[in-house]
Amino acid sequence: MYVILVYDMNQKRVAKMLKLCRRYLHWIQNSVFEGELTGVQLKSLKIEAKEIMRGDDSLIIFKSKDERWLEKEVVGDEKNKIDNFL
Amino acid sequence: MKKTYYLFNPGRLSRKDNTLKFTPVDDDGKELMPKYIPVENVSDLYLYGSLDANSALYNFLGKSRINVHFFDYYEHYTGSFYAKEYLQAGKLQVEQTRHYLSDKNRLEIARPLIKGAAHNMLRNLKYYKNRGKNTTPAIDTIEQWISDIDQSQAIDQLMGIEGNIRQCYYIGIDEILKDLKMEGRSKQPPKNEVNSLISFGNMICYTICLDQIYHTQLNPTISFLHEPGARRFSLALDIAEIFKPLLVDRVIFSLLNKQQLKADDFHDGTGRITLKEKGKKVFLKAWEDRLNQTIKHRSLGRHVSYKHLIKLECYKLCNHLIGAKEYQPFKAWW
Repeated sequence: MYVILVYDMNQKRVAKMLKLCRRYLHWIQNSVFEGELTGVQLKSLKIEAKEIMRGDDSLIIFKSKDERWLEKEVVGDEKNKIDNFL
Repeated sequence: MKKTYYLFNPGRLSRKDNTLKFTPVDDDGKELMPKYIPVENVSDLYLYGSLDANSALYNFLGKSRINVHFFDYYEHYTGSFYAKEYLQAGKLQVEQTRHYLSDKNRLEIARPLIKGAAHNMLRNLKYYKNRGKNTTPAIDTIEQWISDIDQSQAIDQLMGIEGNIRQCYYIGIDEILKDLKMEGRSKQPPKNEVNSLISFGNMICYTICLDQIYHTQLNPTISFLHEPGARRFSLALDIAEIFKPLLVDRVIFSLLNKQQLKADDFHDGTGRITLKEKGKKVFLKAWEDRLNQTIKHRSLGRHVSYKHLIKLECYKLCNHLIGAKEYQPFKAWW
């Protein structure tokens, strides 16, 4: 499935969350990631995220069946283009 | 599904925070903004540019079971970083070797391999016949050769038939292509654009087969149609035989006939025609799309990608080797 992930963390833990998300998804903006994940991958990402999270930290995941069904519009600067040709 | 990443830009790849960090460098050697590649989502890496890396990275790649394929300046395949086998199966290994040693058993696998390849070549020719190309003579001769396959009693004889089929097929290819022509197969070096594309495509096909074999219990060095040699993964050559017409050739026909690749996408280095970087990217993009294209599998009853079909072919081979089910080659049915 295609996933968009956003988080709002306490400053103390934000770096930890960034590192975790980088392993699974593409960074597109501060605290925003997107990419293709399998069900199992998403589950393990969530488990690992829960271990980091404390207090009123929050993590939201938007799911879509396929990238095709996602209409993405960028206004202004596209900070990180997602491509598998580097 | 995990993705293949193609690295063209020179730069440094490193392990950072348990994931991959790619720092490209520009022409003056200045480092640009690093990019992070999500390691959980990488199936393999193809390296075309020059890359700095250290053993810590390779340890990490090995642990993550990511294979890396290297290509030199002339886009030749130079080798792979092959992560430690993780699906060893002694019994299958023994069976695989035993099947290679017995001529009878070996032919039982080699014949269907050739039949599958020939069938898929015919598919291509027939597809274009329906679109008004004159491929009938090539089709007829190939069909004659196919009927000889079952009579062949030795591997050399079989390879001879394979060579003849291919020759007819290449004549058919010239009928299909609009502008650029192939004019016979030439390799090392490829003498014209079409030959260069075929060499490039076959090489990519070979590496993808190797990747799929890696994720099965088969040993990539013991092959049946090709002779197992030192320092090469010849089973990948066997499997690639079936998929070359379907994957590589079709991509080439469509790119050339739609003029997405033209003569000026190639450059001539003293008789050796190679793709320019832009052309390479066009080809690989089309190739990626092709691999991820799905078809409804008849017996599995679900959609599978072309990439996965290659793995299924390996499974069929495993089943044949352990005596569970006789090997039937993959034949395009659409």
